[in-house]
Amino acid sequence: MTARSWRLIAYIVLGIVLIFLIPHSPRYVQTLAISIIIYSIYVSSANLLTGYTGLVSLGQAMFWGSGAYLAAILTTRGILHNFYLIFLISILSVMLIGAAFGALAVRTKKLYFMILTFAFGHVVWSVAMYSLQNLTYGFNGIRDILRPDLGLPWSMESNVNFYYLALAVAALCFFILSLIIHSPFGHALVGIRDNEHRMIALGYNTFLYKYLSYILSAIIAGAGGVLFAYFNCYVNPSELHWVWSGEALMMMFIGGIGTFWGPVLGALVFTGLRYWVSAYTRFWFGAEGVIFILVVLFFRGGIAGFLMDLQRRVNPSKP
Amino acid sequence: MRDISFALEQGGPRVVIIGPNGAGKTTLFNIITGELSPSSGKVYLFSRDVTKMQCHRRTYLGLGRTFQIVDLFPNFTVMENTLLAFQAHDTSCFHMIRPLSSYKSIHDRARALLERFGLWEKRDFPINALSHGEMRHVELILGLAMEPKVLLLDEPTAGLTSSESQELASLIQKLRRDITLAMIEHDMKVAFALAERMIVLHDGEILADGEPETIRANSKVREVYLGERIKL
Amino acid sequence: MELSVAVTQLLNGIALGMLLFLLAAGLSLMFGLMGIVNLAHGSYFMVGGYVGLSVLDGTGSFTAAVLAGGGSGAFLGFLTERFLMRRVYGLRHHEPILLTFALSLILSDLSLFLWTGIPRWVEPPSFLAFSIDMGGIFYPAYRFAIIVTGIMVFGVLYWFQEKTRWGAIVRAGVEDKEMATGLGINIPMVFTLVFCLGAFIAGFGGFVGSPILGLHIGLDFEVIMLALAVVVVGGIGSLPGCITTCLLLGLADTFGKVLWQKYASLTIYVIVVIVLLVKPTGLFGKKG
Repeated sequence: MTARSWRLIAYIVLGIVLIFLIPHSPRYVQTLAISIIIYSIYVSSANLLTGYTGLVSLGQAMFWGSGAYLAAILTTRGILHNFYLIFLISILSVMLIGAAFGALAVRTKKLYFMILTFAFGHVVWSVAMYSLQNLTYGFNGIRDILRPDLGLPWSMESNVNFYYLALAVAALCFFILSLIIHSPFGHALVGIRDNEHRMIALGYNTFLYKYLSYILSAIIAGAGGVLFAYFNCYVNPSELHWVWSGEALMMMFIGGIGTFWGPVLGALVFTGLRYWVSAYTRFWFGAEGVIFILVVLFFRGGIAGFLMDLQRRVNPSKP
Repeated sequence: MRDISFALEQGGPRVVIIGPNGAGKTTLFNIITGELSPSSGKVYLFSRDVTKMQCHRRTYLGLGRTFQIVDLFPNFTVMENTLLAFQAHDTSCFHMIRPLSSYKSIHDRARALLERFGLWEKRDFPINALSHGEMRHVELILGLAMEPKVLLLDEPTAGLTSSESQELASLIQKLRRDITLAMIEHDMKVAFALAERMIVLHDGEILADGEPETIRANSKVREVYLGERIKL
Repeated sequence: MELSVAVTQLLNGIALGMLLFLLAAGLSLMFGLMGIVNLAHGSYFMVGGYVGLSVLDGTGSFTAAVLAGGGSGAFLGFLTERFLMRRVYGLRHHEPILLTFALSLILSDLSLFLWTGIPRWVEPPSFLAFSIDMGGIFYPAYRFAIIVTGIMVFGVLYWFQEKTRWGAIVRAGVEDKEMATGLGINIPMVFTLVFCLGAFIAGFGGFVGSPILGLHIGLDFEVIMLALAVVVVGGIGSLPGCITTCLLLGLADTFGKVLWQKYASLTIYVIVVIVLLVKPTGLFGKKG
């Protein structure tokens, strides 16, 4: 059987599992599944910027958290009631934040870029924690966020229904990402990642490409954040903290950096492990660190890389 | 580098720049393309002062270049490398929606160039599966893809066997005359075969500039190369 | 502002700057020599403080505690370099960073486990628990001692970097590795040494600074941010740049807290952003 038919079968099985099986699983599986889906949106935003464009950012949490907080503030304060409007305004605001910070950050070279995104993220965290305390309630976070009213006959209070919402949003995000990656723009991003020097010599305005990639990844992260706020019904400062940015990189790495499904696999493993380990110990951070060191040292291609290696070994005829 | 001043005539005689190692040949190219800024002086492209213009915009004006050390995209196939080069000057370069595979005109042009260089059959090979000679062909393809008006070739035959060098040299010979060509070469056979005008750089200065045979007979030039054991 | 307040705050800013220097010097050295951003560096600082605290609790000797703090830092630095960093030298940039990030998570939880999350403050040792009278303005001797210590550490590091053979390698940086090896210098050992030295100073600083900064869980994550800000603004591989930036940021933070309380925590980062906008390689940046 060819690789293509294997993949088709895998997709069909996945589709069946996702659409039919999960909603009939026990409650904790549903909750885990929703978390994994929303996190994979977050990680694929980081993957666009880091995996495909080659810019290692420690500031993705800034966009996720901003999206989450904006949605939380808009809905809990009754400023807006329409879910779609809140969603739109939140991600547009995140886009503006991305445009502002990106214009500065993208000018710098790789390591400085990382530190700068780190610094920006911390600035946003500080502002949210201290300067805007009236809005954000500081370390307490914002509670009692209500599930959104979609104007449809199905209430989002039910986890099963919210699951389908998350799935739909994620599917849309992944579809858009797929378009981007296969487009000329996407190919140019990979070119920049692998050899920016040559790209410039070929005539590409690499700054513009990196800038657009930054903004796109901000928007996607923000969208994930909004969804998360509605799902979790509670937003707290850790969603803005740089450790969460680092965990995005970790999930991306575990899944396979620069691969399309890597973020999903990474989110899956991370969330599953977190759930499982936390049942035994409160030192999840430490366990996370150990797991990650093992992955970096011994599984550098991540899960996707491992699977691709396997495929190559099974199918050595391809050059 | 000191006091370099020369001009390339559009569509004029093909220039080969020679000179011992460290003479500043690649540095000269870097200044022309914008990778390095001159500490003084100006660079003009088609009568336009481009001294302060960014690299990628000079390319856009029609300045192409290849590199002495092969500088390709390691994770892409031959075809993808070529497409990337063609895409740069196409209106599609920022398109995010349609897949690259659907842009027929880019594919057709890429195919034409690959066939001309005999690499069409190997188009799906990853770059590192190619021989060094084939990689140098791709290097040249990337420079030609943008349909440059001026092409700077930096030691296009570096690391090739003499038969590979001759093959590449004849491909260069067949390039269209309306491309203004300037080439750095170390291989004297290729240099003299292709040159219609020769510039000799030594220690950051122009030692001689003229017809190849005159250069060959120039005693100062012979002196400079004496220690290099390169036969003129 | 009254003169006495101004002078006190000035000295506070300098003392804070010196603490920042103890924290950041190692990071700057590592970055300059190996191009590695060590996100666990803040952890060395915090763990050094906690270990010193335990030793102080156990033995009552401040000196022993100080040495233990530094020693634990050096030990952690050794482990980091020998078992983690060695495997990823020369790889793409992000592997070392992610490894040290993972390490910082481990150390954070380890500290939580060993010392619980209760914040602790260390008392200055009895031989420094007095105030110096500067013509009517009284200033704690301990903070003076910190300033003096910072200057001494700078002096030692500067001498090491400028006057010794190994220091020459540190200055030359990674690019000349082959040449240095050709000269018969043991490169891996130099790397390990620099790592341990930098981590020692951090651990030392963590304990020495604990009467001022306190010790609490989360300190490691707070200070790594500061240290990175210093490295980025001060420029890589430049010790004078590092200490100047530390003093600048220490003063900015101190006066920031006095002048505009609500946005005080932002002062440092605003400076970081402004500097990087104007000079993307940092104030004294040598290597781009």
